[in-house]
Amino acid sequence: MTNPENAIEVRNVRKKFRIFYDRSNDLKDRILFRNRNHYEDRWVLNGISFSVKKGEAIGLVGHNGCGKSTTLKLLTKILYPDQGSIEMQGRVSSLIELGAGFHPDMTGRENIYTNASIFGLTRKEIEKRIEEIIQFSELEEFIDNPVRTYSSGMYMRLAFSVAIHVDAKILLIDEILAVGDANFQKKCFDKLREIKSHGTTIVIVSHALGQIEQICETSYWIENGLIRESGIPKLVHDHYLQHMEDKRTEQLEKQHREEHGQEQEDQNPENSDSGKPELPSFCEKTAIRMGTQQVIFTDAQLQDQKHQKQYIFDTEQEIKIFLQYHAENAENLNLKGNFGYGIFREDGLHCYGTNIVIETGDYIPIQENGELEITFRNSLLPAKYFLDIAVHSHDGVIYDDIRRVLSFVVSSAKQDIGVCRLQTEFSWR
Amino acid sequence: MIKLCKLCKELFAYREMIFSLVRKDLRGRYKGSVLGFLWTFINPLFQLIIYTIAFSFILPSAIDKYYLYLFVALIPWIFFSSSLQGGANSVMASQNLVTKIYFPREILPISYVTSCFVNMLLTFVIIFLVVLISGVGLNPLAILCLPVVMLIEYMIALGLALLFSAVTVFFRDMEHILSIVTMAWIYMTPVLYPIEMISDSDIQKLFYLNPMTSVIVAYRDILYYAEIPDFSTLLIALFFGVTSLILGELVFSGLKKRFAEVM
Repeated sequence: MTNPENAIEVRNVRKKFRIFYDRSNDLKDRILFRNRNHYEDRWVLNGISFSVKKGEAIGLVGHNGCGKSTTLKLLTKILYPDQGSIEMQGRVSSLIELGAGFHPDMTGRENIYTNASIFGLTRKEIEKRIEEIIQFSELEEFIDNPVRTYSSGMYMRLAFSVAIHVDAKILLIDEILAVGDANFQKKCFDKLREIKSHGTTIVIVSHALGQIEQICETSYWIENGLIRESGIPKLVHDHYLQHMEDKRTEQLEKQHREEHGQEQEDQNPENSDSGKPELPSFCEKTAIRMGTQQVIFTDAQLQDQKHQKQYIFDTEQEIKIFLQYHAENAENLNLKGNFGYGIFREDGLHCYGTNIVIETGDYIPIQENGELEITFRNSLLPAKYFLDIAVHSHDGVIYDDIRRVLSFVVSSAKQDIGVCRLQTEFSWR
Repeated sequence: MIKLCKLCKELFAYREMIFSLVRKDLRGRYKGSVLGFLWTFINPLFQLIIYTIAFSFILPSAIDKYYLYLFVALIPWIFFSSSLQGGANSVMASQNLVTKIYFPREILPISYVTSCFVNMLLTFVIIFLVVLISGVGLNPLAILCLPVVMLIEYMIALGLALLFSAVTVFFRDMEHILSIVTMAWIYMTPVLYPIEMISDSDIQKLFYLNPMTSVIVAYRDILYYAEIPDFSTLLIALFFGVTSLILGELVFSGLKKRFAEVM
């Protein structure tokens, strides 16, 4: 240890895995294909360094396969680094594998002894803790039944209870707080806090960023085997989420482009069935069109504030619906109309709807070739949404009504939940 | 050397894990059966009764009390062969522990061999009873040598278990090779027949290169002949035991860091 205050020091650790295309352990293959290199070395960690002070908690975040679980396994000493060094001070307990060595035919009590002994506890130490372990697991009445009679929740409760009572100086946790019901989860979390306040160093790997934010001082965002960012959990997580969101939208855009491209090919005017009003190319495939078609929409677009056609919007962003329509002989007939739109979430929830009459109190004259722009400030939360557009006559005749004419996606890095964002301020005294 | 001290210290800290694994193995074996732990005694007892009947009526042997002659050698042999075969598989069998949690990996072969050893000790209760009943009698001086012989056998078994349990992780065929080796080994060791049956003295010397020969002969000297065993041959066995322990641990500690990667 270069710094005696540190509980963990990880210096420039690199780890590779040998990926075998066709793992063969038998003698024949070994002899016959001795010179065949049917494996590749994959570097999972490319030089990671960090240190954790005693009594501190850190979180490791990152997408699947980024190397965070490998890092945890290196700390647990299940794996060993190919380069670099890891130093740890004090007994290590890991909540990676709960219930290691449980024997289904043995009673809960007997299994506590076995399981705790795997963490390196002596008999005396176990006896000192056993009452506390049983109490924490809330399994007093079942403790002398074989564990095979336990429900999976009971099983996990017992296992968690043992692991957390080891009195380790360093506690390594991999996605654990999914134990038991909500009450027990809260209890586990409180227990973690308590342990931490007693000076235990904690390393958590989790996708539940909120939990890390609640308990950790520092968060490390690992990507491609390197630490991409570290610091205050909330800040790191915001960047991480933003990055993930960007990647997701990229994916969605690609998907959208593919779908849309296909649509245009499908939209062969010769083959479109008559009978129903035909679906123009600007519509989603699943759109439904109704109305007399005395007025018809000829284009619909969703645009951002710069009038760029968009598919993905941020929660706080301004969205424009740009519509073009055509009405045969409109001026001579002196047509007046009411234009409106509605937004539905993918699961069918009607999020919003309004029209010109509601907003302005009057109908507008319909041109032969007209344009209409609707602007609103989006406050919808991340999800996929569908847009409906319609134009009615002043006496209620539906000229044109296209349901699900367009779809769009809302994304946001903020983790608020619900349907839409209510502008919120907290103040306290 | 420092490494070895560290390992011993760590193993001592983890002693409860060894005990509990041994306990789990011994108790888990007969768990759920009506007679439970009694089977540990019933099994060898009936084995002995069957041998007695078989070798008295069906296959009478020239050796006096052949059932006892066989039994006092067979029980130590079973300890050895099951330690070798099961011990070699002990790390692989605990895959779920090795890939998920840290503990000194040596514990797996150690606790397996120890549980076989405890099983043998329990069977010795039957052996002592039969030795007394059959009228052979116990020589107290010879009995004092018994722990030494057992310890030597334990060392050989553990050394080989360490060696092969590590090798088996990387080379899975080892398990099957070993089952053939133990099958042959019992005939290279005077378990079923007296060593004197090998008339050529040169070949007999060759037999004594097999450390199990002197171990089995020593067991028989103590329990069947009620004599103090020949210590010169036991020294060879002791030498082999220490060597196999050192070699086994060297190989094991060299390979253990990569266990979790290849499992």
